[in-house]
Amino acid sequence: MLRGVIDRFVGRGEAAVTVPPMDGALRPNQALERASVAAEVRAPDNLVSYRGDVLFSSGHELRALGSNSVLRSFERPISCVAAAADGRLAVGLLGAEVVLVHPDGSTNLLPLKVTAHATALAFHEDALIVCRGSAQYNPDQWKRDLMEAGVSKPGSGSVVLIPRDSAHRRLADGLRWPYGAVARDGQVIVSESWSHRLLVLDPAGAAPPRPVLSDLPGYPARICASSDGGLWLAVFAPRSQLIEFVLREDGYRRRMLNEIDSDFWIAPTMANGRSFLEPIQGGALKQMGVLKPWAPSRSYGLVIKLNATFEPVVSFHSRTDGTRHGTTSVLEHHERLYVASNGGDVIVCLRADEAVEQ
Amino acid sequence: MSPILELRTITKEYRGVPAVKNVNFTLNSQEVHALVGENGAGKSTLTKIIAGAVVPTSGEMLLDGRPVAFKVPKDALAAGIAMVYQENSLVPALTVAQNIFLGREQFFNRMRGINIAAQQFLQSLNFGVDPTASVASLGAAQRQMVEIARAVRQKARIIIFDEPTASLTPEEKFHFFGLMTRLKHTGVSIIFISHAIEEAVQHADRITVLRDGGHVLTDGAANLDRNSIIRAMVGRSLSGEIYGARGAARASRQPGRKVLSVQNLSMGSMVRNTSFSVFAGQVTGMFGLIGSGRTETAKIIAGVIKRDMFHGGEIKLDGRPVRYRVPEPAVRDGIVYVTEDRKLEGFFETMSIGDNINIGYMATAGGIFSVVNMAQVRRLAKQWIDAIKVRAINGDAKVIELSGGNQQKVVIAKSLVQNPKLIIFDEPTRGVDVGAIAEIHQFINMLADDGLAVIVISSYLPEIINLSDRILVTRQGRVVEEFTAGQATEERIMYAAVH
Repeated sequence: MLRGVIDRFVGRGEAAVTVPPMDGALRPNQALERASVAAEVRAPDNLVSYRGDVLFSSGHELRALGSNSVLRSFERPISCVAAAADGRLAVGLLGAEVVLVHPDGSTNLLPLKVTAHATALAFHEDALIVCRGSAQYNPDQWKRDLMEAGVSKPGSGSVVLIPRDSAHRRLADGLRWPYGAVARDGQVIVSESWSHRLLVLDPAGAAPPRPVLSDLPGYPARICASSDGGLWLAVFAPRSQLIEFVLREDGYRRRMLNEIDSDFWIAPTMANGRSFLEPIQGGALKQMGVLKPWAPSRSYGLVIKLNATFEPVVSFHSRTDGTRHGTTSVLEHHERLYVASNGGDVIVCLRADEAVEQ
Repeated sequence: MSPILELRTITKEYRGVPAVKNVNFTLNSQEVHALVGENGAGKSTLTKIIAGAVVPTSGEMLLDGRPVAFKVPKDALAAGIAMVYQENSLVPALTVAQNIFLGREQFFNRMRGINIAAQQFLQSLNFGVDPTASVASLGAAQRQMVEIARAVRQKARIIIFDEPTASLTPEEKFHFFGLMTRLKHTGVSIIFISHAIEEAVQHADRITVLRDGGHVLTDGAANLDRNSIIRAMVGRSLSGEIYGARGAARASRQPGRKVLSVQNLSMGSMVRNTSFSVFAGQVTGMFGLIGSGRTETAKIIAGVIKRDMFHGGEIKLDGRPVRYRVPEPAVRDGIVYVTEDRKLEGFFETMSIGDNINIGYMATAGGIFSVVNMAQVRRLAKQWIDAIKVRAINGDAKVIELSGGNQQKVVIAKSLVQNPKLIIFDEPTRGVDVGAIAEIHQFINMLADDGLAVIVISSYLPEIINLSDRILVTRQGRVVEEFTAGQATEERIMYAAVH
């Protein structure tokens, strides 16, 4: 306890307001900004490969990218989608349960108690993996969940595995906003957004979660498998010292949450620059002896390719001056990489093996 | 216009190695003349020759057309040449006023009188420094002001400023250049060394570029721009011969796991919120001008110096936050730092090669009460002499008897015996002969091939480009740019380092 007080006083340990650098394989480029547009649609998310086409969600609609048509519409906005090899679709709805859509078009609802607040879905063999971001908040209230949690509060998120014909089992709980899941080589890999890391879970639920990639410079979202045995990871917003500082100031955040509209919080966001009321930091950077005004970005676009051992090998960026921010979902499909920019209202497409000109 | 000062084919050699060679230089009356060049280009040596701090090996110096040969700085001062050194030459225990009047005291001195005179003089220069303050209590910028004031007070005809603006704020710089203009109009000629090319172009009448101790060009500042000066500074015809073209010779190594993550590290004004990562199996080059915080950053990582106590940032080794107050725990964790100043920090020169290597070994393997086994010392010495090709009769040879290159190899062996996972080489080939440079480079490459994380700090661009798989450029205490090996050119790196 004394150590905690000292750490807070001198700003080290848990109280160190630091952010890992984007360098090496994460060195910024403009690949997402230069990528071609596959579709312009409002707040796209949840790219999945389904029967040779790419599906994505936009509001209440599940749409097909190839035919640019609405495949199915739901009563509530879609929060997450997964497609199984046998043709089943699992669709999570905001404020409701997960709907299972069978190949013949029939549907059944999974229990609300187990699937409420679903942020990500994935199929593992026959079973469905459900990531529940938080026990209190719907996926569209992610910002409030982060701001209430800060850096120290344990999460209320969990990951549940629902077999086709037996009782569900909990693979992990106490997670800080699990936001993406993929099954690979008998393992379940989950992104824990507020802890900026990837975890490997045992589908049998026997082993505790094991971090395999930590200290990411942003907030990770969906994950998908790459054709060469690696993974693609979407990161929807950057970490900054300003936000890290705010996340350590409980009283300040309480007031901010009570008094200010969520669009204008000092918090990560899917897109910024939409209103003059948005917060900026009154900071400055000295370049060549000239003091220049500067504010850290609250939104960013980033997709990271990880190799089989979870090391970043290449990354595609939409930088502060770009528009393709809030990259929540990524999918490799037929040697093309599709990226959903939730904040930029666009799905972009680039070659999966693109050598990035930085 | 006849020059007030003329240097003809000036050469200065240290043990046969020329620091400046056959340099011709002229300074006109009432002229501001900027000297620019890379680190080690010979700027400081040349100006120290003018100021009498260094005696040239050959060549001639003319002052007002008459040959002069200064043995000590006092001779130059008597002839009206004063130098403001980059390294402070003030007496910290004395006050600002006492320092200004140091060496020019009268028989009876009244402190009040000195303080008032110093106050008036400092005010006339627009320097906001309290004359009664002790120099030890001043910051770097204020010490620099006192240093400048002292030179101006000596009523010199020629004043040499070595990096005068490095520690000044923009406002102080503005005042400094105003002062320079005023001095010029009162008949003073000024030579100033600067890494800030913008300053040279803006404030100098003429600019001289030195490279590798030789004169490259002298021209009016109006005829030069930033890019042409940088090209002149780095265009090194010999670089290909010494280091070979990297290009096709070797592809960049792919990064392995992240071994070190430096996050928002700060230490006073030398390291300012810097962040970077270092990966296993790669050589990460670090380039920056003197004062850009490279060495300080490396020393903080290795526990040689401490970061800021309050909000000093974080260092993560293999994902684990570490904070070292002394190097010993860093060495135990697998971080070693091969110093840039081997004579002072690298070895015990009167001890044998074996003893030096064994000291390195004891840092990780030994304890307080461990017994030194002489057979083991000899075995270690032989093993490492063979491994890194130290040219010595045997391991009992004293380090002082070895050449610079072989001494450096002993320092490297002393570090490697500690079995590191991260090794930081600070100027690994400074003062090392060309043959040993190639061997040291080969060895550094071998370490990276073996999967170690390697950082190479160097002021020599061909070395950085030749060795590194990725290059970090530091400026004003932080990493400002990263280049892959394929993208890096001398011009691009230098541009990032000075802008």
